[in-house]
Amino acid sequence: MILSLVFFTFSFIFYILTTAAYAGYWAFKKKWLGQTATAMAFVALGSTTMILISRAGESGHAPFSNLWESMVLFIWATNAGYLLMEYRHKFKAIGTVVMAIETLSMLSASLLPYRFKSVEPLNPALQNKWKWMMDILSTWGLEKYAIGWLDFHVFTTFIGYAGFAIAFGLSLLFLWKFRAETRNVTNRFVEAFPDSKVLDEMSYRAIAWGFPFLAVGIVSGAVWANYAWGQYWAWDPKETWSLITWFIYAAYLHARVTRGWRGKRAAYLSIIGFAAVIFLYWGVSFILPGLHAYA
Amino acid sequence: MAEKANEAAGGVESRWYRTLGSRIWYFLNSLKLTLFILIGLAVTSIFGTVVEQNQSIEKYIEAYGEQWTSFIYYARLQDMYHAWWFLALLAMLAVNIVVCTFERFPPKWKSLLNHRNDKFDPRLIDKFSHHETVRLNESADTVRAKLEGVLKKRRYGVDSSGSGKEFHLYAWKGRIGRLGSDFTHISLLVILMGAIIGSYYGYKDFTGIIEGKSITVPQADFKLRLDKFWIEYYDTGQVKQYNSVLTVVEDGKDVFQKQIWVNEPLYYKGIRFYQSSYGQAWNKVEEAEIALKLKAKDSLEESFRVKWDSVEKVPGSKYSVKLVGFTGDFAYDEATNTVFSKSPEPNNPAINIEIYDGDKLVSTPWLFMKYPGIFPAIPDSDVDMVYIGHKGLWYSGISINKDPGTNVVWVGTSIMGFGFILAFFVYHRRIWVYIKEEGGSTEVKIGGTINKNQLVFERDIKELTDSITSDSASRGR
Ligand code: HEM
Repeated sequence: MILSLVFFTFSFIFYILTTAAYAGYWAFKKKWLGQTATAMAFVALGSTTMILISRAGESGHAPFSNLWESMVLFIWATNAGYLLMEYRHKFKAIGTVVMAIETLSMLSASLLPYRFKSVEPLNPALQNKWKWMMDILSTWGLEKYAIGWLDFHVFTTFIGYAGFAIAFGLSLLFLWKFRAETRNVTNRFVEAFPDSKVLDEMSYRAIAWGFPFLAVGIVSGAVWANYAWGQYWAWDPKETWSLITWFIYAAYLHARVTRGWRGKRAAYLSIIGFAAVIFLYWGVSFILPGLHAYA
Repeated sequence: MAEKANEAAGGVESRWYRTLGSRIWYFLNSLKLTLFILIGLAVTSIFGTVVEQNQSIEKYIEAYGEQWTSFIYYARLQDMYHAWWFLALLAMLAVNIVVCTFERFPPKWKSLLNHRNDKFDPRLIDKFSHHETVRLNESADTVRAKLEGVLKKRRYGVDSSGSGKEFHLYAWKGRIGRLGSDFTHISLLVILMGAIIGSYYGYKDFTGIIEGKSITVPQADFKLRLDKFWIEYYDTGQVKQYNSVLTVVEDGKDVFQKQIWVNEPLYYKGIRFYQSSYGQAWNKVEEAEIALKLKAKDSLEESFRVKWDSVEKVPGSKYSVKLVGFTGDFAYDEATNTVFSKSPEPNNPAINIEIYDGDKLVSTPWLFMKYPGIFPAIPDSDVDMVYIGHKGLWYSGISINKDPGTNVVWVGTSIMGFGFILAFFVYHRRIWVYIKEEGGSTEVKIGGTINKNQLVFERDIKELTDSITSDSASRGR
């Protein structure tokens, strides 16, 4: 039995339970439920980390080389980002939405056909490691686990995606809460969430994290391409779509900072941005021709 | 009167001219234009990802039909990212950035430098979205000292004024964060510049080099020699890696040697050399194998080998042979009377030899591996030569790439990274405090602004207030 798949199954179950715990907290506002939910989110994070670690052990390289592995990375980053946000802002009900996104991602990863999941040795053209890192790791004979530009590229890009996913969840919540506020609807489900203004601000903060990380992802991809092909930019569909997505979020930031777009319009732009992320991540791989095998 | 009319006319004229100028300036200075360009670039870029770029016209016709293909060519969608209108959008982005920076940066810079001179009215404190008012049973000076201490510990710069029973404090932090957007914008200009430099002064080339041979590198003052080329295999027989050992030769001296393989290029003086392919040379061989044929017996004598460009005595005859030519896929151009290779594939290999009788050149025939004996090697002779085989020469296919803009692009991206850190993670905070002692108690008004991340600042102000109230009994709002 492959260990990473065992951890995957365990994590999947745990994300479902965590979502339920957050939903329970949201509905009943019991403090112990909220604490349980957070504790469970930590367990889920640990278990997701174990998927990645065991995968690295099984394949002998950084675990970011196929669609399934990248989904796990996305789930990991979103969870970590969410917990950081919860720690800083102390709003737990939001976890319901984020964990629902996590569960859906788990589900879609588990539905992937086998060829996107299997442990594969790296195609020679993709092998590239930082020498300084190999030198350090070789002290313990672990140099095969050194990473290179390609791994760095995938990792930073996915932190960016995670930021945008959280912003997307917050924007949806914002729209719902805002509607309730303008219609003067009050019930305990609506009450559990912070004011729409706060949701709007938090959504912006999530994008303020995602945007530079996507930028670093794009640039490190260009560094890698320059190294491998002598050309840092080739207008390949994946590259272009990452730029498109980046421009949409740049438009979001500008509209917000310079034209005072807050609230609804900002939320719609953030949702459009996330639609672009999904297309960038899945759509381009399956629909458009290009160099990137996945992600 | 006439003078006035003239003046008026002149006024109208200059006004027309100025109006147009200022309208253009206003247009270019507008942040609506920024949004328009950003969204415009995002939306138009989509076309280029849907329509596959730089394909042959037949492919487009097959995929889209004639009418759409002519539209694609009309709109230049087949090479969209180099189409004039796309480049115009990019140029517009650059101009927009330049104009906006030109307009906004100087006043911003001035106000950042002179921020301490801002006059401040204590009544405004209550108008901030983040503010607190507390009343304490301590003297004004004690409160001032305490607040100053707390603010300094939190690495704020602090100015205080006033004396006795009334004080003003002004504290600030993270001013440089305001410059984040400017660094980001300048970095975009730098990156664009790098791209332009690359497309003007860079080039891409490909060459095959045979072991031991050198090539002259275009636009460079050095040569490149291939010392060795070999292919590594896995045990299963799959190719593991292609390797070349290259030496840079400058002024006739070897200056640098490196083994390259796929994804591990050689970099020298701004030019990169990549292992990109390999193959057998089509105009040269290492040696050829030839056999003498006695026409009378219609049988081959034992074969012999002749090295490239060298002479070999033919055993059992009075002749000797020199190997002077090879072509992998023989073709003959009647117009120019020359031999050439139709393709790099060894479809119809032929060698060219010179045959000597003693010192006398008797003939220079082409021999064909696949068609032995179609032309006699030596006219009117009782022997013939048969080309049996050869040992090919491998060449290593090297891509040559020069892009002097690349480093400019990396400088730009570093500036951008710096700009992002400032723009997103360094917040400009300003806090004003008004302290007034009256009738045994002191009223403290604290308020301030932050340029972004309001949520953090709300907590900052709370903590600041708590720091002076925590050990003081009375606290009112
Ligand atoms: C068309 C040219 C552009 C113009 C005229 C422009 C103008 C501006 C202005 C006036 C600001 C606000 C300045 C401030 O808050 O101090 C700003 C902020 C910013 N701009 Fe641009 N911009 C342009 C293009 C871009 C592009 C293409 C990017 C990157 C993709 C970018 C990245 C940023 C960032 C990161 C900020 C800070 C946003 C924030 O604080 O949340 N800008 N821009």
